[in-house]
Amino acid sequence: MNGNGKKKRIGVFVCHCGVNIAGVVDVERVAKALEGYSGVSFSTHYIYMCSEPGQNMILETIREEKLDSIIVAACSPTLHEKTFQSVIELAGLNPYQVEIANIREQDSWVHSDKEKATLKAIKIVKSMVEKVLQNESLEPIRVGVTRRALVIGAGISGIQSALDIADHGYEVLLVEKNPSIGGHMIQLSETFPTLDCSQCIMTPKMVEASRHPNIRILTYHEVESISGYVGNFKVKIRKKPRFVDPDKCTMCADCEDVCPQIVSDEFNMGLSFRKAIYLPFPQAVPGTYTLDIENCLGLLPIRCGKCKEVCEPDAINYDDQETVFEEEVGAVVVSTGYDLYDLNHLGEFGGEKYEDVINGLEFERILSASGPTGGEVRRPSDGKVPKNVVFIQCCGSRDPENHNPYCSKICCMYTSKHAMLYKHHVPDGNATVFYIDVRTGGKNFEEFYQRTIDEDQVLYVRGKVSKVYKEGDKIIVWGVDTLTGRKIEMEADLVVLAMSMVQTDGVNELLKKLRISSDANGWLSEAHPKLRPVESLNAGFYLAGCAHGPKDIPETVSQASAAVAKVGDLFAQEQLLHEPTVVPVDEDLCSGCGICVTICPYSARELDKEKGVVKVNEVLCEGCGACAAACPSGAAQQRNQTDDQIFSMVRAILRG
Amino acid sequence: MRIRNREKPFGIEKPVTARGQIVIIEDRCKGCGFCIEYCPNDVLRLSDKYNSKGYHPPYVAHEEECVDCGFCQMNCPDFAIFSVEVESGEREPAPAESVKR
Repeated sequence: MNGNGKKKRIGVFVCHCGVNIAGVVDVERVAKALEGYSGVSFSTHYIYMCSEPGQNMILETIREEKLDSIIVAACSPTLHEKTFQSVIELAGLNPYQVEIANIREQDSWVHSDKEKATLKAIKIVKSMVEKVLQNESLEPIRVGVTRRALVIGAGISGIQSALDIADHGYEVLLVEKNPSIGGHMIQLSETFPTLDCSQCIMTPKMVEASRHPNIRILTYHEVESISGYVGNFKVKIRKKPRFVDPDKCTMCADCEDVCPQIVSDEFNMGLSFRKAIYLPFPQAVPGTYTLDIENCLGLLPIRCGKCKEVCEPDAINYDDQETVFEEEVGAVVVSTGYDLYDLNHLGEFGGEKYEDVINGLEFERILSASGPTGGEVRRPSDGKVPKNVVFIQCCGSRDPENHNPYCSKICCMYTSKHAMLYKHHVPDGNATVFYIDVRTGGKNFEEFYQRTIDEDQVLYVRGKVSKVYKEGDKIIVWGVDTLTGRKIEMEADLVVLAMSMVQTDGVNELLKKLRISSDANGWLSEAHPKLRPVESLNAGFYLAGCAHGPKDIPETVSQASAAVAKVGDLFAQEQLLHEPTVVPVDEDLCSGCGICVTICPYSARELDKEKGVVKVNEVLCEGCGACAAACPSGAAQQRNQTDDQIFSMVRAILRG
Repeated sequence: MRIRNREKPFGIEKPVTARGQIVIIEDRCKGCGFCIEYCPNDVLRLSDKYNSKGYHPPYVAHEEECVDCGFCQMNCPDFAIFSVEVESGEREPAPAESVKR
């Protein structure tokens, strides 16, 4: 009987799934056994229910037999529930009047005894009949979409995402924690395999982003928290005090000249200095100075005030405050980038003890024309031009026992580029590369690597380095050539380590709050490794760039554009539909104990203190049923999965 | 990203800051030590000698570190110390850690 007291007319359709089900379960017997079972007015079997003839058969049978609900005994509902919902919708029925009895994953695939498997299939289908008898017709929950996106992190992936979303005609907030956009890419000297100058290809993009009418760049801002649900997020953004008005600052550098505080320059990886009031690099966007309050002599109770004294446009405001404000967005692109693995983890290479043992990004700055040495290759300890440079690959990568198990993917190529550029700068120098494998999977990558060996005479040694130490002002590299089996002891003036890429500090904490999952190595997890690589499992969040795993620039840019295509899918919808099989509260039964509030993994439930009952935000509810199981008074009942339904299903199974 | 804290950053350009000379009017000093406490570059020390009031005045221990920030002058309750700019010039920067307060 259904809710109206009218007897239901149920159709049962048993699928063979080729031999997947029919090989173990006697499908004909299952169909026969269901004939005449309570409410079942039609029962049949067919080789592939999901095929077009199978779907047509269901459609015709519903019309001929005047069915009002159906059961498809087939595979898991994750595979084909949607398929059959749309079939019965075509026949004019409510999609929530179809149930899938899973007799493949839960029966034929896990059993071999035909007799027992057939009996089990009959029980499963009968239990589903009991459920369908009490199924209500439901309408999906509809919500609007805020057509505005948030992009977290403004490296190349964030800038590309923001530009693409903006070109689609939607507004974008581009949030960056550093004073300028640009990320790691703007630090690079030249890019493989074409040797384009990184700044030459990056700065036009940065300027384009800053001039685009749809992009609002929020540098020196951080995302504090995100609440809400797909299409309707509320983002709390914290503005860090910059103490300089970007609109007034003319970048005249007068403040920088008088500032007495000297600190290491982050943009140059600590290889040069900057003042406490500084411009991160000449092409910074937005073009404004920033007062780094950590290193300023201080503003309270007294201040040195030299920068403000000389600032002609009066851009400096010592009363700037940290503020938190809220913005509404519909989609979030996470493009937070990467960090390099800390050199201190590699004690055998001296950690950070030896000044001339440096990481790849430091060498990028030394190679860069805008770097601390003005484009000349000099070593940090004494500024001499190094004549013997040793490059070591896989530092912290591909070492599951001690460090990271994964391959950082870009190091083979950038080491090859480093060695080539070094030879271009110092033609009479010697470059040696220690490698485990050279992986050059990419367009024109192998040719580039071959050029390094053939044209630039870089020596590649297959083997690991066990120790790097200092003797006098020489660095000694101890390794092994695994092709000849000989030990190698080599003098070097400079050692460049291809450090592993790791997840950015602090990002995982933020993502835990957003309920985006990450893998064992800290990289963000995609919804499906092959078919949904740019979406997060949490609807409305999209992944771009190295936050999702090591990537080179072309791959990062492609992923950013792909993520934006998905944002476009979301924004193109007039209204978003949400599954109605949520768990509402029966206010008459709810005692307000709040057990369901603490148990809900989606923060969909909260206690209404005035009424003393629990309120449900049905859009946030994913229908997991945890609250329904925990509710001591039976006030939380999942739609179409009520306690009554579950008990009758259990009874049907026990009866056989 | 954490960057390495180098003893001295290198590069073709050396940092330029103002250089200051500190003048101490010893007889006004009452030995409170505010100037020593507030000096960001650790230029001043307390001396062993006595002034006419019987207090220990400070003395300039590392004049080369003075950047003429004027903190000592601003903090002195007795107008007993001030700095004057003598020149601008290249300095070997102190490591970042020691500058951070």
